[in-house]
Amino acid sequence: MEKKGNIFNIQHFSIHDGPGTRTVVFFKGCNLSCKWCHNPESISPKRQILFYPEKCVGCLACIKNCPGKCHKVGENGAHIIDLSTCQRCFKCCEDCYAEALVAVGEEKDADYVMREILSNKPYFDYSGGGVTFSGGECMLQVDFLSELLKRSKEAGIHTAVDTAGNVPWERFEKILDDTDLFLYDIKAFEPERHKELTGVDNKRILENFEKLVASGKEVFVRIPCIPGSNDDQLPLISNYLEQFPQVTAELLPYHAMGNSKYIALGSKPQIDIPNMDKKVAARLKEKYHFI
Amino acid sequence: MTHAINTEKVNVSDRYMQLIHNLHDDKVKINDEKLKIRGSIDIDDHGFICFPDFHFEPEYAEDGLVHGPKLIGKNFGRFMREMPKYINRNSALATCWVGVIQEFMKIGVAKEDRPSKEWHDTVEKYHILQPGFAGMNHLCPDVNIGLELGWKGLLDKVRKYREINQPENTDFYDGEELLLLGIIDWVEAHAKLAEELAEKETDPFHKQNYLRIAGMNHNLATQPPQDFREACQFIAQFQSVDRTYFAGGATNPLDRMLKPYFEKDIAQGKLTEEEAVWYLASLFFNDTHYSQIGGVSPAGDREMTSRISFVILDAMHLLGIPNNMGIRVHAPLENQGDSPEALLRRAVEYTIEDGFGVCYSLEKGITEGYAKNGYPIELGRMRTKCGCNWVAIPGHEYPLQDVTRVNMAMALHYALEDLKAEKEYSIDRLWELFQHHLSIMVNCIKEGYDKHYEVIGRNVPEIVLNLFMYGPIERGLNCANGGVDVLNLNMDGIALATVADSFAAIQQRIVEEKKMTWERLFELLDTDFKDAENERLMLHNIKRFGSPGSIAEDWALKIRDEYVHQVHDTPTPKHHLMTIPGMFSHGDVYMYGKKTPATPNGRHNGDPISHSSEPDPGFARGIDTFSPALKANAVAKTQAGYGNSAPLHLDIDTGLIENEGGVDALVALIHAHEQMDGTLINMNCVSKEKLLKAHEDPSAYPDLVVRVTGYSAFFASLSKEYRQQIVDRFLSA
Repeated sequence: MEKKGNIFNIQHFSIHDGPGTRTVVFFKGCNLSCKWCHNPESISPKRQILFYPEKCVGCLACIKNCPGKCHKVGENGAHIIDLSTCQRCFKCCEDCYAEALVAVGEEKDADYVMREILSNKPYFDYSGGGVTFSGGECMLQVDFLSELLKRSKEAGIHTAVDTAGNVPWERFEKILDDTDLFLYDIKAFEPERHKELTGVDNKRILENFEKLVASGKEVFVRIPCIPGSNDDQLPLISNYLEQFPQVTAELLPYHAMGNSKYIALGSKPQIDIPNMDKKVAARLKEKYHFI
Repeated sequence: MTHAINTEKVNVSDRYMQLIHNLHDDKVKINDEKLKIRGSIDIDDHGFICFPDFHFEPEYAEDGLVHGPKLIGKNFGRFMREMPKYINRNSALATCWVGVIQEFMKIGVAKEDRPSKEWHDTVEKYHILQPGFAGMNHLCPDVNIGLELGWKGLLDKVRKYREINQPENTDFYDGEELLLLGIIDWVEAHAKLAEELAEKETDPFHKQNYLRIAGMNHNLATQPPQDFREACQFIAQFQSVDRTYFAGGATNPLDRMLKPYFEKDIAQGKLTEEEAVWYLASLFFNDTHYSQIGGVSPAGDREMTSRISFVILDAMHLLGIPNNMGIRVHAPLENQGDSPEALLRRAVEYTIEDGFGVCYSLEKGITEGYAKNGYPIELGRMRTKCGCNWVAIPGHEYPLQDVTRVNMAMALHYALEDLKAEKEYSIDRLWELFQHHLSIMVNCIKEGYDKHYEVIGRNVPEIVLNLFMYGPIERGLNCANGGVDVLNLNMDGIALATVADSFAAIQQRIVEEKKMTWERLFELLDTDFKDAENERLMLHNIKRFGSPGSIAEDWALKIRDEYVHQVHDTPTPKHHLMTIPGMFSHGDVYMYGKKTPATPNGRHNGDPISHSSEPDPGFARGIDTFSPALKANAVAKTQAGYGNSAPLHLDIDTGLIENEGGVDALVALIHAHEQMDGTLINMNCVSKEKLLKAHEDPSAYPDLVVRVTGYSAFFASLSKEYRQQIVDRFLSA
């Protein structure tokens, strides 16, 4: 049977996820739950509903068609949504032409994703770019990922995998040959702090990182910097990385662009601070030798 | 291997920087005065200067119009003598233009030469606001003809061929001669004005400058330009004369034209590069004529970028006012060095820094597409970017691009009306009816073109451009009427996305999902979706043209193919003239939208139609988020394909590209679009905050320049509707 993957976004012109101009395929599902995650819709491996009440035109189609009775009109006429009885039919999203209810996550086969990647090949050729598989954690769907990597390489496309590394090493082995570059997230150095911030400790993450570097693959470390959350870890990460002179590390300053999506998912952001000041970020980069 | 070209930025001293800054400030002031007198301007921001007290009394024919070469030449020549003379104190060059001559006299086709009532009825029924008949300019002169002969030499040439041809009707030559005599007097008058200004001037630099201007204009009244500055002065004079007559705005590639003068003067020590920058800035201050830099030789083996190409780019950047320069982008040539890449990169850097800049004319789609008409590919390479979107062979071709619009949404509207009356509904029948109405529109324009070919020369000849083409003077024929060798008439189909999304919405919602009936669709269109917002959104929010793999994209290709077939495969009915399909809407999407009833893509009655062959704003949905690449792919895929440009508009938020890699990404995008058969890119780089603030209070940003579509303009000059167009495009990106 043909492999399918759960994808939530394909971005066609990224200049921030590897060299050159890149197409970024975002896989749905992650086994970390970082407090600052700017793609909260990427965490659950399941298809989800995003709700934007400001777009609702009051057509009541969702109320009529929902078998789980999840949608109601409140006393003040507001659209109230309670997904505890949701039967996951997503009919409410299909019938919501105002796009107030949007299903996020689609099962796509490799042919579909490859068509989109290949349509951008001229941009890759002129910019030294390629495709980046990101997420979520794309290595949780390693068979699908492996197929896309293979087919991309066969088409002469540069490949990158953006990972937090919290998977068995065997999964890396499956894709090593077809991956040109790993974008590897290090979010904290101390295991207990890592667990506190992301829900898991980083023992396996750092072990995999070291094996990956030892394998000779090109690895580019990315360190999200969230003021008041993990900035205490920056000197430790910097110190740790000194033993890997071949590895470049980039600081990713915090931005709050994902906050509206938390609300659309019916939750709220765990961190509610403004975007990181560019000058502060520049000072930290210089201090800790990040780019 | 070519020798290395100096690609460095020109080092400009404080004195010349000051002069250029003063020119910039003067232009902003002049523009502000124009706005106060005339209100907003939604066309090219030409460099004309308003003289509200100037009046002209024309001599009319018996029917109360001015027509015919001789009467036009007589009036035009006198207009040149009488119009105000102008020299800006900060400029290296004299002259300006004071508005198009049609504002000062009623020029038109004689009643007996106009198309039939039936033709006019069709034009009215389908709202063909630009039907092509009596379209003027929209070809490309070769100004080298004038640079070699000068005004006096052109006059001698007219007289020589009058003698050789001895035409029975001397109107053609009379008109050209009367115009040239007026121009020569006008040039001489500027010499006198410069002398008077020199006499009053106390600053030694400016006094000397006026004297030099006086000398140049004396020379140019009797002989061709002898050096770089005189060549710039001649081109400025050409620009002013050309603009005055129906706002002509094309020139051949500026770098190639000026290269011999530039290199000779530099070699002889008569010119410094900073002086050249000032002369060029003065030329760009005079007017926004379209031109091109870069490109390949006709044989395709040599790069035409030279040092002057970089100097031109620097002059435009330093002046910082609207300009209409294009850079020709092509795949690298072997052994030709990296100067074209350096020029492209510099142009992109300036676009990011200034927010606007050159547009990018793309070689492969233009040249290879043109060759598909049956022309040698070498002629395709000679086609130069010389208008909003149009490209032409300088001096040789009469292509009449950008003077017609076939609003395909009107063909769809009448197809739906017919289908409703037939009462047997199917999408196949709707398609047949659409084809039928489209053919009525296309054939109407073809008939108009036949009439244009028959009568325009004896009514409203290209009295200026005939002088700068190969053939008209030699043959005694207007360039539209056998004066030049290459005649092909363009026809622009517009509203592609509006129609494609409409067919796709019908297919998806009515035919496949059966969520709406045909009857309900007709009701919704008749009532303009009154009290039916949800159903409107049902039609609107499908996967629209631009979304990969959408049925709307299949429809866009089918509609494009049908349009191309109707235009290209059959010549005009009477004179068998070749017609070439294009897909350029200019900024006219509001004007056409106002006359277009509601459409099945959920578009309200009177709302704008879609741009050229671009997807509608906000097209990306589902797992595909908007990106410039998605839009570029859609535009490249739906080009008409016969060498006439349909642009990709990119409004880029500077916040997205200010990081390292931004320039590389845009350069890659331009190259990729060229290789994918795109033909033209117009680009703005501006921050969202600045654009929104300027939209709210344009007067607070008097020198913000944007590329509207093919042309650039002061943002403050545009009407609210046109500003909204830019804002909508930007916000959807």
